[in-house]
Amino acid sequence: MDLNPTQKDALTELINIGYARAAGALSDLTGHRITLEVPHVAIHKVSEITPMLQKVIEGEVASVHQVFGGPISGDAILLLDKAAAVLLNRLLTDRPEAKELDGAACEVITEVGNIVLNACLGVFGNLLQVQVAFTVPDLRIESVQQVLSSITVEDQELQFALMIHTRFYLRTSNVSGYLVMILGVTSLERLILELKKWEDRQAG
Amino acid sequence: MEQKHDSSLGPQEAAMIGWIHDFAPYGVITTDCAFRIQSWNHWMEIHSGRGSGEVAGGELFKLFPELIERGFVARFNRALEGEVSVLSTALHGYLLALPPVMRDSGFHEMQQTARVAPLRYQGQTVGTIIILEDVTQREYQSSVLRRQHERDNILSWALAHLLESQDPRRSIRELFFKVAEQFDLEAYLLYMTEPDGATIKLQAAGGVSQEAQDQLGRLTASSALGRRLLGSRRPEALEDLQQSTAEESILHSFLGFHACAIIPLIVGDEFLGALCLATRIRARLQEGELDLLSTIGQYLAVALGKEATNLKLRSAQSKLSHHAQGLERIVDERTVRLREIISELETFSHTVAHDLRAPIRALTGYCQVLIEDFSASLPAEARDIIDRLHGACQRLDVLTQDLLEFSKISRQEIQLAPVDLDSVLSEALFLSLAEPSSITVRRPLFSVVAHRTLLQQCLSNLIDNAVKFVAKGARPQVAIWTEYVWTETDPAAAPRQPPFSPARQTSRSVDDSPAPSRKVRIMVEDKGIGIPPEAHGKIFGIFERGASSAAFPGSGIGLAIVARAMQRMGGACGVESEVGVGSRFWLELPSA
Repeated sequence: MDLNPTQKDALTELINIGYARAAGALSDLTGHRITLEVPHVAIHKVSEITPMLQKVIEGEVASVHQVFGGPISGDAILLLDKAAAVLLNRLLTDRPEAKELDGAACEVITEVGNIVLNACLGVFGNLLQVQVAFTVPDLRIESVQQVLSSITVEDQELQFALMIHTRFYLRTSNVSGYLVMILGVTSLERLILELKKWEDRQAG
Repeated sequence: MEQKHDSSLGPQEAAMIGWIHDFAPYGVITTDCAFRIQSWNHWMEIHSGRGSGEVAGGELFKLFPELIERGFVARFNRALEGEVSVLSTALHGYLLALPPVMRDSGFHEMQQTARVAPLRYQGQTVGTIIILEDVTQREYQSSVLRRQHERDNILSWALAHLLESQDPRRSIRELFFKVAEQFDLEAYLLYMTEPDGATIKLQAAGGVSQEAQDQLGRLTASSALGRRLLGSRRPEALEDLQQSTAEESILHSFLGFHACAIIPLIVGDEFLGALCLATRIRARLQEGELDLLSTIGQYLAVALGKEATNLKLRSAQSKLSHHAQGLERIVDERTVRLREIISELETFSHTVAHDLRAPIRALTGYCQVLIEDFSASLPAEARDIIDRLHGACQRLDVLTQDLLEFSKISRQEIQLAPVDLDSVLSEALFLSLAEPSSITVRRPLFSVVAHRTLLQQCLSNLIDNAVKFVAKGARPQVAIWTEYVWTETDPAAAPRQPPFSPARQTSRSVDDSPAPSRKVRIMVEDKGIGIPPEAHGKIFGIFERGASSAAFPGSGIGLAIVARAMQRMGGACGVESEVGVGSRFWLELPSA
């Protein structure tokens, strides 16, 4: 299962709309101008995701995980390598001395993840014109493998992952992160179908 | 509330909701879709001071109008659309303004981590649920840690900066800005004691008007502040100065300080001065502030002590170098003057010797005329006088010739080259008065680096002396040979060697460094009358003759010529001798 170039463009555009909302929310929150780069979107098999991410993220990652349900259901995860998480917290909270992720810093990362995930998941809601229900976000600090294995083992139906590579720019620094949405076959088929409808609506 | 009594709930679920309502350590609030409060748990009753009956049905944004001002309404609206929001303490501080349970935490509101989520029932969103967690204690602890960390940073910065600083008086200014930022301090005064020990002088200040600095520039024990600073031996906090009637209340009346820390600067037992850091806003110092400031004061004192020591050291070094330069100048001046005098003397002696020879020759000539042409007609006594006169004239001629030779050696330019000693010695022997049979030459003779003519002259003079100074009636016995010697001195330094030094005990050494240079010693040994030890150092001087040599003819210039010639060639000479046994003269020159 794969996205053709047109579908990929459509999905990128939709997520970008969500990102504009997320960037606005983060800017309001911190008083700094925050830009979210146009994301790279691709569909991969879940089994390919771990080795792929391990190449770009070493060691422990801070992951914010939200489960979503409804006509499209699955898991949404924001992954930041630990250094990026520390940097992001420092840039957002103006605490230059923060070198580790303490309780307060974990909350900040959770809130940022929550804003970004909500923005992307909200896109699906708008697209399908139905409500998507979310769980409360959950932050973990562990290896990429541990993050993904704890999700995939639960449901054999979850075979495909929509991977979105994202990058935040704030002040003079940039923080790079990955957004992974793991969807069931049914949900993905539904998503592609709805994408096509959306394209048609745009064209019509 | 409503959910608690929902008949569709099982007993376990109803119990759980009841527990959340009565005992959960979190604030839990639910609203309907119009944000009217539907439930308000016991935790909320305690921390807000309002009972659930009092708030039920009330609109959340009316109860907490700040939510609107702070832009949280959108989050609640989005909750109705299905989104969950996490609100972190670091970014928001709190969601609902509630009084903090913890006193003296420094926070005006209870610090909260909050969640706002849609409340769903049978697939429909029926309202929102708000969950609050009190994290004031955690935030307080982390702020204490942060403050401690900042203080540690200031201390390590101060330590590194002050101890490395060449100018601690300037560094204290930079340091003050860092400390001031941390503690809200507005002013500082750095006083150092004057050498008299009874006066302190303002060395650096900040946050104090120029007028005040001028007026307080120099203090003695006659003023209250001066007395306080001069007598300071341990860090002290002066607080509530605006209410103080004590004599140092000038700190408030004149400088406007409300509280200050006075830190003595002491290194070892020496009191260097005092540092005063002050605030015009706070009536008291913060906890731990005096400790931190006194640690900085200790670093400053060490740095100032080091500066003073360096200053003394530099001044001593400068004096020493000044003195050495003076000495060098005097030596240079005297050397120039000495050279001038020597040069004048040499010119003088050359002129004298040269000009003397003409009248001497005339005298000799006339004596010969008298002897040859008139001796028959002169009485015997007159003839005897004329003979003596003639002899005296000849001696005078030899003397002037030698003087001329000595001065020529001192003045002429010489070029050194390898010289075959055998051939030079043959020439010297040929020219000498010595009977060949009295001379033994032990070959081989090593070649040397020398000036051929000067070397020949030296050898001639030594051989002439060796055959001349023998006991009356004894037959001269002279032996000549060469030996290698090794010297550790740099060959370039050799000319500086005193030329008349007594024989040195130089032995061959292989392990000394730098690499020894090889020299040749030419030995001329006789079995003559010998020289008493007290004369050994003198005989190489001009006109010096051994006491026992009075009976022998000579000018007393021969050995002076040898010594001067050896000096000019960068060599050395010396003698070992014993009265009645004989003498051994040696010449030392670099090996060819």
